[in-house]
Amino acid sequence: MTIQVTFWSYFAELAGCSETVVTVSEATSVDGLLSILYQAHPALAELRRSTLIAVGVEYQDGEYVLKAGDHVSLFPPVQGG
Amino acid sequence: MKRFLSITRDPIDEAGLVADRTLSSGMGAAVYFSGVVRGQEGSDAIVALDYSCFVSMAEHQFHRLFDRLAERGSIESVRLVHRIGRVAVGESSLWIEVVSAHRAGAFAACQWVIDEMKQVVPIWKTPVTAANASSPSNPNPTA
Repeated sequence: MTIQVTFWSYFAELAGCSETVVTVSEATSVDGLLSILYQAHPALAELRRSTLIAVGVEYQDGEYVLKAGDHVSLFPPVQGG
Repeated sequence: MKRFLSITRDPIDEAGLVADRTLSSGMGAAVYFSGVVRGQEGSDAIVALDYSCFVSMAEHQFHRLFDRLAERGSIESVRLVHRIGRVAVGESSLWIEVVSAHRAGAFAACQWVIDEMKQVVPIWKTPVTAANASSPSNPNPTA
């Protein structure tokens, strides 16, 4: 299945793109997706400890099991205000 | 609890927001806060901040905060406006108002929403200096 991924804020610059599509097997977790993304975009791997992850509009952790049609977002700590 | 939320590229019309305030006879406190862009970011002089935002998630997360605020039971209304895009030094990037029966609850709620916003609402800011002021303001196409 394919998963759409968006990189927000300066993560887009580090990734070299603001969006990508990743093909993963069924029952892949967010952690599994991140392993693929970090291979393709190693600059993001250095910030993994501070990376926030959302699926749709909800925060999720690495154990979340992805479903077809999920839209994953990766971004740095938020700074509103 | 009544709520109003706007994430906008337009300047915040603080006078208009205050003029539009409504509160019932049981309410004794209307607390509002305006967050203004400072001319310093760390040790650097800046001319503006570029705010980018994952808008649909930001709206969802703001409403989740408002849901939690409503559970307190003593808040009649919350109104919040957050600017995105380029906001010049001296301009307001955030305006929030809480109406409650008593000032302690209104002050606390206002502070709470801002603190929580800074943890969960996906908005980011990039300093703009005089040297890089001509750069594009937004790396994400949907913000």
